Amino acid sequence: MLDLWYVLGSVVFFVAMIAYVRACEALGRDSGSKEATP
Amino acid sequence: MTANGWLQIAFYSVVLLALTKPMGVYILKVYDGSLTWFRPVERLLYRLGGVDPEEDQHWTQYAVAMLVFSAASMLLTYLALRLQGLLPLNPQKFAGVVDRQAFETAASFTTNTNWQSYSGESTMSYFSQMTQLAFHNFASAAEGVAVAIALARGISRRSAGRLGNFWVDLVRGTLYLFLPLSLVLALLFVQQGAIQNFLPYLEVHTLEGAKQTIAMGPGASQEAIKQLGTNGGGFFNANAAHPLTSPTPWTNFLSMLGIFLVSAGLTWTYGRMVKKQGHGWALWTAMYILFLGGVTTAYWAEARGNPIHAARGIDVVASATQPGGNMEGKEVRFGIANSALYATLTTDASCGCVNSMHDSFTPLGGMVPLVNMQLGELIFGGVGAGLYGMLMMVLLTVFIAGLMVGRTPEYLGKKVESREVRMVMLYVLVFPFIILVNTGLSVVLPAGLAGLNNSGPHGFTEILYGFTSTPANNGSAFAGLTGSTYYYNTMFGFATLIGRFAMQVPMLAAAGFLAEKKLAPESAGTFPVTTPLFIVLLLSVILIVGALTFFPALSLGPIVEHLLMQSGRLF
Repeated sequence: MLDLWYVLGSVVFFVAMIAYVRACEALGRDSGSKEATP
Repeated sequence: MTANGWLQIAFYSVVLLALTKPMGVYILKVYDGSLTWFRPVERLLYRLGGVDPEEDQHWTQYAVAMLVFSAASMLLTYLALRLQGLLPLNPQKFAGVVDRQAFETAASFTTNTNWQSYSGESTMSYFSQMTQLAFHNFASAAEGVAVAIALARGISRRSAGRLGNFWVDLVRGTLYLFLPLSLVLALLFVQQGAIQNFLPYLEVHTLEGAKQTIAMGPGASQEAIKQLGTNGGGFFNANAAHPLTSPTPWTNFLSMLGIFLVSAGLTWTYGRMVKKQGHGWALWTAMYILFLGGVTTAYWAEARGNPIHAARGIDVVASATQPGGNMEGKEVRFGIANSALYATLTTDASCGCVNSMHDSFTPLGGMVPLVNMQLGELIFGGVGAGLYGMLMMVLLTVFIAGLMVGRTPEYLGKKVESREVRMVMLYVLVFPFIILVNTGLSVVLPAGLAGLNNSGPHGFTEILYGFTSTPANNGSAFAGLTGSTYYYNTMFGFATLIGRFAMQVPMLAAAGFLAEKKLAPESAGTFPVTTPLFIVLLLSVILIVGALTFFPALSLGPIVEHLLMQSGRLF
């Protein structure tokens, strides 16, 4: 039974990390690359 | 401290410096595709994996490939460890690894941590050691370097957020970098007398007539990659202090050299990739200064020993007949200088193998490994991880320098703007968050306190060390904490995963964002990154960020323990 929890926990972690990739991408898009002052 | 001890530390430093450029040149050739010896093997692997080696991946694709590879290999290892009893190469007939330890071990080895809550010789079959743990020793090391090279590409070129191909970097790092180096080092270990066999354990009779079991196995080959890949997981429980895997002073020296070799070389490789060799050497110098500070403190503290011993008339001065100082928990073959040097190196890098017990160090001596890890293991650091950790601090330094003079921060021709700094801050904040929250929880929860074998500040340090070592992907243990429980196995397992991937993702994002920017020529306003001023500023940022984050916790642990020891109280 605990095997299932450990496996599920690991899978959920990596899925969350892939969502984190998307979140970072969105965060980068939101703040954008504005022309900076010299 | 003795002249002999300092001479050995100086010799180590000179050899490391001499090997930095050759290693850097070789790493550059590995990742620019100049080396072709294993091209047929490469092609076969790409075909089997359905990989297009010509594809230049966007940073999001690169990160997802890295995560998918890590998830799949971790789950496979979990399964293999659970089914160990049914698998071959198990002359001692070890049963399957218990669920909590299988999870922690799989997570730990996937993340280059190699935290071990078991003794290798009484838990792992040769099959598990060779096909699972050794596999991760190679793969996690190659993954770390791949990610660092990806960051270097992001900084050095304009490519619409594309950083290279994760699968190609992973395969090349394994085939051309870690396999050949490990082969050479393993042969040197064997030549020095380290064991490499598949024999069942030996039963021998001692002179007193007692029966003793001597563990056997393919030790030398495991020892080589665990040093070069800064993995650190011991084939035997005594790790680098075991006479069958580190039988001579030379194996101890080679073992230490292996820890820094690739990471030192990477600073040179980076300098060449960004076409500013002086910057690579500036990073090397900053790392070396921090290393020297650590080893000096640890050596001084251990050579000085426990003042209570001296107050009670015990001779603690080094002489021709005794090493003096604090020898508790140290291997007499290596002595104080080599123990202090090893403890510093292994925690500067994310190696975590040990040739002495850090728990037995004096409070200040034991604080050095702890601080090394809390600074982010960027002092040469883990293979790849040390370089990208340092580059995150460089970006922060350049950003702060830009604020100080009122100009848009610029690093090697690329403007550092809010989105890059956001990613850097995510990288910087995730690490202390895991350490401090988990430590705080564990000192109040009964399950956390149940593992403690020492009271007072020393017990606190044991928990703090465990929750620093795991997310730092170091894996060394302070000992004194019974980590083989459902609570600690699970907490440490997830701490290793978060400490690896929740930091690599924003780092790759920063690399991708930088890769989208055009390269501007240097101007009078460009912050110089090759000068002593840059090195001083970089060191200041690293030390101030580290101190602001961890000084309160350190005050409750080793610092107060040191002050109490001075007043005659021990824990």
